[in-house]
Amino acid sequence: MKDVMGVIYTGENDALLRELTMMRAIAALPVAGRYRVIDFLMSSLVNSGIRNVGVITQKNYHSLMDHLGSGKEWDLHGKNDGLHILAPFLTRENIGVYNGMLDALRSNTNYLSRSKQQYVLLANSNMIFNADIDKFIDYHIESGAEITLMYTRDPSVRREEFGTYIAVDENAKVTDMEVEPTHPTHECTFMDVMILKRETLRNIVDKAVAHGQHNLNRDVMMPMIDNGTGNVNAWEYTGPIWLMDSVQSYFRFNMDILSAENRKKLFPDNLPVYTKVRDEMPARYGDDVHVSNTLVADGCVIEGTVENSVLFRGVHIAAGAHVKNCIIMQDGQVHSGAYIENCILDKQAVIKRNARLIGPDAYPIVIAKNVVI
Amino acid sequence: MMTKKTCIAMLLAGGQGSRLGILTKNVAKPAIPYGGKYRIIDFPLSNCTNSGIDTVGVLTQYQPLELNAYIGSGAPWDLDVSHGGVFVLPPYQKGKVGEWYRGTANAIYQNMAFIEQYNPDYVLILSGDHIYKMDYNAMLNHHVKHNADATIAVREVPWEEASRFGIMNTDADDNVVEFEEKPKKPKSNKASMGVYIFTWEKLRKYLIEDEEDKASSNDFGKNIIPRMLAEKQTVVAYDFAGYWKDVGTIESLWEANMDLLTTPMPIDLHDKKWRVYARNPGYAPHYIAEDAKVTDSLITEGCQVYGRVEHSVLFSGVEVEAGATVTDAVVMPGAIIRRGAVVRRAIIAEGADIGPGAIVGEETGNIAVVGNRITLPAGVHVTAGQQVGEDTTF
Repeated sequence: MKDVMGVIYTGENDALLRELTMMRAIAALPVAGRYRVIDFLMSSLVNSGIRNVGVITQKNYHSLMDHLGSGKEWDLHGKNDGLHILAPFLTRENIGVYNGMLDALRSNTNYLSRSKQQYVLLANSNMIFNADIDKFIDYHIESGAEITLMYTRDPSVRREEFGTYIAVDENAKVTDMEVEPTHPTHECTFMDVMILKRETLRNIVDKAVAHGQHNLNRDVMMPMIDNGTGNVNAWEYTGPIWLMDSVQSYFRFNMDILSAENRKKLFPDNLPVYTKVRDEMPARYGDDVHVSNTLVADGCVIEGTVENSVLFRGVHIAAGAHVKNCIIMQDGQVHSGAYIENCILDKQAVIKRNARLIGPDAYPIVIAKNVVI
Repeated sequence: MMTKKTCIAMLLAGGQGSRLGILTKNVAKPAIPYGGKYRIIDFPLSNCTNSGIDTVGVLTQYQPLELNAYIGSGAPWDLDVSHGGVFVLPPYQKGKVGEWYRGTANAIYQNMAFIEQYNPDYVLILSGDHIYKMDYNAMLNHHVKHNADATIAVREVPWEEASRFGIMNTDADDNVVEFEEKPKKPKSNKASMGVYIFTWEKLRKYLIEDEEDKASSNDFGKNIIPRMLAEKQTVVAYDFAGYWKDVGTIESLWEANMDLLTTPMPIDLHDKKWRVYARNPGYAPHYIAEDAKVTDSLITEGCQVYGRVEHSVLFSGVEVEAGATVTDAVVMPGAIIRRGAVVRRAIIAEGADIGPGAIVGEETGNIAVVGNRITLPAGVHVTAGQQVGEDTTF
C-alpha cells in the first residue's frame, strides 16, 4: 500500500491521429493487439501499489469509460479509494472541456481534498511506457525534493513546437524548462509525469485559480524553476517509450512491438499490463495459412496470408486473403482474394472480396470504424 | 435469513481422475487445462452463469489448492455477487466428527446446511468431468413442467457403447421406468450425463434416508436414483443432443482437444451468446516469427512460436523455439519446446521444459505425456504411451 494517489489526464491534442481519435480519447486508442494506450500507465500505477487513481476525461470519453468500467481489471474496485472517473461538468466557473491538467484539477478540488494520500502522481496519457513507478516514488521521497519530474532521453518522442524539455544538472536538479519550443535545446524530454505532496498541489491549484493560470508547465513549473523558488528534481526513465500523437507514430509503435526485444521491455514479467478481458477462444489457424512476424490476439480466425502485422481480438482473415504491414483492430475482416498493405483498419472494418488497398510506406491508410470496402 | 433462491448448483469436484495418470498427480481433474485457455471446470461454471444460476457450491477434496486459487472470488464467471456466488466446500469437522466425502450423495449430505441457507426449490447436481455447453434453465423448465422429483440429463450414445454407461429406460413421456448401471444387454441407449435436478425437499429426504442405510455406497447413480424409482417417485429424463465429451482419460482428453481443430468445431466456442469464461492470465497477444510455420492449430495469447506447429493446441505462454516441431500435440500453459525437439501425439503438461533435440511421442500408438514442470534432458526419447514424471530416469 502506497501513500500515493494517481491522477491521469486524458485530454491531449489528437488532431494528427485523424479518424483514429474521432470517437475516442488517445488514452482509449487500441494498441498492441489487445490493449488501450491507458492500460500501460494504469498498470504501472497499480503495480507500484497505488490504490487511488483519478482519470480526468474530456470529450469523446464514452469509449474510455466503457474500457475502464469499475476498474476491476486493475483491482481498483474496492471500497477504499479505487478508480474515480472525473468527467467534465458545467459549473459557474467551468464551461465544458478542460484546458489542461491544471484546469481539470481546479474543477476537481473536492477529489483532491477528499483523498487521504500524502503524495500525488500526475500523468498524461499520450505516451506508452512501462516504468517501475515504485523506484520513482522512492527516489522522490528520499531526495526530499518538492517536486520530481520524470524524463526520458529517447529522441523519438521529441517534436518541434510540441512538448516540454528540461535541463538537469549532475545532482538531478532541474535548472531550466522550455515549453513547446520551435527547436528544443535540452535533450531531456519531460514525460508529463510528476510527483509532489498533495498539500503542495492544492496550494499550486489555489494560486493558479487566483492568477488565472491554465498551463501547469508554462504558468507554474517554468517560473518556479526560473526564479529558483521550487526545489524541483528529475528522475530518468531509461526504458522504451512511444509518443502517440499521429497516425505515423501510432503505426510505428505497433510495428515496433513485433520485435521480441521491445516486447520483453514493454511487458516485463515483474510489471504485468492489465486490460479489459473479452473471453475469446484461442486463435484458430486453418490448414493452408502463412503467418510470419505477426502478433495475434485471441478470437482470431486465420485462413490466409499475414505478414508483419498486428491482429486484434476477433479478426478474421479469409482463405486467399493477403495482409501485409497492417494493423487490424477488433473484429475486422479481410475477405477472400483481398490484398491490403500499410493499412490501419479500425474496429469492425471489412475489406470485401478481391479489394486491393495499398498505402505508401510512410503514410498508412486509415479505414474508419465500421467501414466496408 | 437469506432470501430464497429458486435453484442453486452443487458441483462435485472432488474426484482424483486417476485415469489421467501423471496429469492429476498434483491437480484435481476439474482444474485440468483444456482447449488452449480453459480448465474443465470453466464449462459447468460458465453454463451456470449463462443459465442464470448465480449460486454454486464446489465440493473439493483431492488436491484442492490449484482449484481453489483458480476459482478465487468467482469474478471470471460473474459469480462474485453479493447474495450467492461461488463457494469452495471442502469436508469439515462437525462437532467431534470429521470425515471425508464418502460418495457423491454423501458429499451433498455433508453440505445440507450450505444448501438450506438459500432455501432453494431445486438443486442442480453437476460434475467437473465433461466438456459441454448446456442450458440448465431449459432443463429446469422441463423438470417443473413434468412436476418431477428428479430429472436426469441423458444423451444418446452408440448402441455398441451403451453397456459402458448408466442407462435410463424411459416411457413415451420421458419418465424413467428403470435405471441400469452398465447393463450387459441395454434396452435403451440413453446414458446418464451425471447432471441431475432434484426438488430439494425430496432430495433432502432421500439424502437423510440414504445416510442412515449403512449398506449404501452413498452414490447418486447407485443408490439415490434407484431408491427413488423403487418408491415410485417421478424421475424424468431430459434429452441433451449437443457436444458432450468425457475427458477422463489421457486419450479422451487429447481427442477432445483435437476436436477443436475440425471444421466446423463440434462445440462452438466463438458463440457470443454462450461464452465460455475462464480466468485470464493476462498475456500479450501471441507472436508468430518470420520463419515459423503454423497450420491447423489453436494458439493462445502469450505464445511465442519460432518453429513448426501443425494440428496442435498451444495454451497461454507456450514457447516453441526455432527448429522445434510440434504435431498432433496438446501443449499446456507455460511449457517450452526447445530447438530441434520433436513433439507428436503427446500432451505436454504445464510448465514442462522439453530439452533441445528431445523426441516425445510417436506417429502412431498411445499418447505420450510429460508431467507438470518436468524438465526433459536434451536428446532423450519418450516413446508412445510413456508418462514422464518426477521419478522417471533416462
